[in-house]
Amino acid sequence: MSPSPTILHPRRRLLLPAGAILAGMLILLWPAHTLRSDNFIVYMPSSHAVIQLNLVGDVKYLPLVPVLNAVGKVGAIHEKRDSFRVWFGETQIELRRDERQVRVGDSRLLLAQPVRNPGGQWLVPLEFLTRALPQLTRQPIVYQVGTNRIFVGDVGPVTFSVRLDPTANGARLTIQFSEKVDLHTAASNGKWYLYPEPRPVQPLEPEYHFENPYVSDLQFDDQDGIPKLILTPAAGALNFYPTLTDGGRVLLADVVKPPPLAPSQVPGGEQQPATTAGAMPGTTPGAPPGPEAPPGATGPPLPVIVLDAAHGGAEAGARGRDGVLEKDLVAQLVARVRVGLLATRKYRVLLTRAGDVDPTFEQREVAANVARAAVFLSFHAGNLGVTTPRVVVFSYRPSAEPGAEAGGKETALLVPWTEIYRLHQDRSQALAAALQQKFALIAGVTADKPATAPIRALRSIDAPSVAIEVGSLSPDEDSGALTDANFQGQISSAVVAGIEAFRGGVS
Amino acid sequence: MTRRAKILTLILLGILAAGGIYLRVLARRVSVRPPDHGEEMARTRLSEEILQSAAGPSQTATLYFPNYEQGTLITETRTLTWAESDTDRIRQVLLAHIEGPRQGASSALPASAAIRAVFLTADGTAYLDLSAQTLADFKPGIASECLAVYAIVDSLAANIPAVKRVKILVEGREVDTLDGHADLSGFYVPDLRPLSRAS
Repeated sequence: MSPSPTILHPRRRLLLPAGAILAGMLILLWPAHTLRSDNFIVYMPSSHAVIQLNLVGDVKYLPLVPVLNAVGKVGAIHEKRDSFRVWFGETQIELRRDERQVRVGDSRLLLAQPVRNPGGQWLVPLEFLTRALPQLTRQPIVYQVGTNRIFVGDVGPVTFSVRLDPTANGARLTIQFSEKVDLHTAASNGKWYLYPEPRPVQPLEPEYHFENPYVSDLQFDDQDGIPKLILTPAAGALNFYPTLTDGGRVLLADVVKPPPLAPSQVPGGEQQPATTAGAMPGTTPGAPPGPEAPPGATGPPLPVIVLDAAHGGAEAGARGRDGVLEKDLVAQLVARVRVGLLATRKYRVLLTRAGDVDPTFEQREVAANVARAAVFLSFHAGNLGVTTPRVVVFSYRPSAEPGAEAGGKETALLVPWTEIYRLHQDRSQALAAALQQKFALIAGVTADKPATAPIRALRSIDAPSVAIEVGSLSPDEDSGALTDANFQGQISSAVVAGIEAFRGGVS
Repeated sequence: MTRRAKILTLILLGILAAGGIYLRVLARRVSVRPPDHGEEMARTRLSEEILQSAAGPSQTATLYFPNYEQGTLITETRTLTWAESDTDRIRQVLLAHIEGPRQGASSALPASAAIRAVFLTADGTAYLDLSAQTLADFKPGIASECLAVYAIVDSLAANIPAVKRVKILVEGREVDTLDGHADLSGFYVPDLRPLSRAS
């Protein structure tokens, strides 16, 4: 008599695979809790420190003690299982595991994310840097949300804007630095490396992608604490001729296709030493390329939309009764518009300020004009009366008509820099009208007719340019809907649609 | 005293003690600094008194004040005893602006405004030198700043024919903007439609 086969109950049969799946998921997800990621750089006036960044969930954390050691001297440390006390100078800092409240001297900070302690290391969220470091170091702190670097004290990071133009036999990269720099170059793995010195760099954009047959992209990297720009050519065997001009503020870099090898076409002994991505280049430039070809010759690059968040740094701009600051509000709007524009894949986006800093009007203009902006939008918030929320789009109008001594409107070649708006007045008004039409479609928002006014931010922009003011943000009013994510989303969508309509795309 | 009354008294005393401690903490956190523009204010008030005592012809002055809601200027008339010189008359118009509107419009110049100096050149340019404190109290924003500037410029041009254009200085120096918006690098000519909305 053969033994009868064992029949498992259907529930038991499911138990094994379900348990295996559960265990697999646990193994898969558990390490994600404390995955190590990139480096974080702390720049100070005469030094810098590289600190390993920790990701807990998707929140960035830094180990407290290395951060404090980077900016000063750590004193006594008292550690218990669930709490941590450290002396920094005369200030005591107290953390508690998984709690959001942190004590710094006599004050208590409530952070958005809790303190963590994986593996015995006390981690603080990045917010701690901007909230506590100014108090601890008594120095100004510059930190742009989302980046992996912070500037402590009088560092004054250099920013730069980028433009790529096609030339007859290659491409010309123009990098406009906000301050004078020295530069040395290197080549490795088919890429060119540019090291601006001696000050740290805060890029407006971490990377630039080009639709160009000679240059693929330009990336900024300082993960090892050394700021560098990495230029990736789109093809092999190209020559690279970098030149610093304008007293060290402008880098002109020509990426040039070598001339054909036919002996009759090579000028005997006159060719400049070529620098290719496979060899170490010198900083001595070779002969500049020929005159620029029409943009259509090698395919036009993507149009650049420049987004200008007004104010910044110590210049907070308007302040609402509830403490909302214009500089923060417009930075939020710009961030949303930037995301919306990049999602179209039709534009490059350039921001005139990176983080909580206040570039001068001239620096903002230089960034926009060097990048040959297709559209310039300056974002503001201010008093617009009691009807709120409200949006007004302004284009530039001079406070007094320019005198005839400059030659009037007929001599466009001799337009003074302070009157460059004249070349774009009609297009600026058309842009204002296109944006206003889109704002008018937002339910519950009052969109006034486009207006003209003498607005400094628009005066010297060599592109169709407008200022968008949302309101009311004034000491007599709460900011109300202005900080609402839905309102900001609608405004940014309308801006993207307005630009599309202005440039003839599908809105 | 009943037991209940004792408990209530203890609770009240506790609340009072907590309130006292909280007030001490608050007092430590808040430091009140006296305004540091007292001398400037005093000087402005003095010149105001001198101008008001000036005996001249009494005439109706036309003043323009901002209407922030409509983005326009509102006209207001009032009788002023004009001073002899145009420079003093410019001061009178500015003082009337600091005093503020009487018929429901908004102020162009804040009450804390101080006029450091006024000049009128032969070509009709009025130079107004404002104190830095004046800027801090302006209504913020593009529309507000532009309306405020034009309210002053238009009021001056409407009442003092010698004024053809206006240049605003701050603490004796040229500045880029009033408070980050209105372009002060050039001159302002009168314009009764300061924000010129499209029709």
